[in-house]
Amino acid sequence: MSLAKKMMTWARIKSPWVIHFNTGACNACDIEIVASLTPRYDIERFGVQLKGSPRHADVLLCSGPVTRQIEDRLVRIYEQMAEPKFVVAIGTCACSGGVFNGCYNIKGGINSTIPVSAFIPGCPASPKAIMDGVVKLLMSLESTEEAEKPKSP
Amino acid sequence: MAGTLFSILIFPGLLFLCIAGLIFEYVDRKAYARLQNRVGPPWFQPFADFIKLLGKENLMPCAANPTMFNLAPLFAFASVVTVFLYIPLWQTKSSFSFDGDIIMILYLLTIPTLAFFIGGWYSTSLFARLGSVRAVTQLFAYEVPLFMSILASALLADSWSLQKIAVYYAQHPAYCLFNSVGFAITLITLLGKLEKAPFDIPEAETEIVAGPFTEYSGKLLALLRLTIDIEMVAGAALVVAVFFPFALMFSPVVGFIVFLIEVLVVVLLLSLLRTIIARLRIDQMIDFCWKWLVPLALFQLLLNLILKGALS
Repeated sequence: MSLAKKMMTWARIKSPWVIHFNTGACNACDIEIVASLTPRYDIERFGVQLKGSPRHADVLLCSGPVTRQIEDRLVRIYEQMAEPKFVVAIGTCACSGGVFNGCYNIKGGINSTIPVSAFIPGCPASPKAIMDGVVKLLMSLESTEEAEKPKSP
Repeated sequence: MAGTLFSILIFPGLLFLCIAGLIFEYVDRKAYARLQNRVGPPWFQPFADFIKLLGKENLMPCAANPTMFNLAPLFAFASVVTVFLYIPLWQTKSSFSFDGDIIMILYLLTIPTLAFFIGGWYSTSLFARLGSVRAVTQLFAYEVPLFMSILASALLADSWSLQKIAVYYAQHPAYCLFNSVGFAITLITLLGKLEKAPFDIPEAETEIVAGPFTEYSGKLLALLRLTIDIEMVAGAALVVAVFFPFALMFSPVVGFIVFLIEVLVVVLLLSLLRTIIARLRIDQMIDFCWKWLVPLALFQLLLNLILKGALS
């Protein structure tokens, strides 16, 4: 891995900007996401910042099952984000559809619509679980980029 | 020739300013976090943000005007970098100086706001357009008291050249106290210029996403963020050069360190102000600027006119 690529990976790990999108959750997971941004947990320590615009964000935090009404909007938000981008499904509903699975107005978990990089189960997922999930996602980023390293002869 | 290139590209030009801008962004964010009882970001945070943004994809809306969309951040960046060449920071010397450079600096500091307006307007997003219009509306409110209070200080020194103003106040340090009202006004209006709370109305992220920057991503966003950081340093350096240029009394290296410490103090004051005051509405902001700051700035002008007569 060249120095420039190493630095880029380092910068990506150190500065994940998130955007929060409610895809039809009951609000419990949203409150937990907001709680993890408060001074009590202070995730700016890890460089995480909440951004308003999907163009600025690297990580899309989705909470809730994908309802048929939100589906188009979710795809649109996802497509507005700049590469490289990651999606984190927060809460049991976002992972699989949860108790809403099979309802007439529900499509399923987030991965029924867009590719998901990390799943964080919980009803609701606690702030500590969310931080743990995001850290694991970033660590996996490091190992996958190292795996691309050409083998020395 | 080599000296000119050195001062434009390395010190106190591009390279020095980029690093200083990112470091002062860290200082600002850390102070902001500590005042909110948080730990705050690590020291390399602005560098990591900048490098990450450089490596991201550049997106542009189909309806946007590509020339304006791409050029606006460059214009903003170029103008704030130019400002620093005229600020005296090495004893009483700035890299370039002429009579009337203070007026030019004030106008160069206006260009970023106009560039943000143009960039936001031509990105054709609803949020960006709303933010752009707000940015320009705000410009008309803070610009007048800012100009009046800075020029009041120049009036007392009887010069339109920053270098001569610096020499004058270095010779008469006590006279700086007369400008304390002007200093307070400049500090408040500088928050409007930098679009920070309580005057972050153009990019109010709870209302209009990110204002003029909504559609920017990747390298252009990195450039815009760097522009705002450098604007903060340049604005703080201008305040130091106009209101308390005491650094110029010392020998070059010590003087430069004192100058940096003074800039640091101004930046910390700006973060203190943005922590303790919440965002105003655009009409409240304009009312406040025209009803309170402009009369106070007029008072400062009058005071300096009388003092100038009394002291000479």
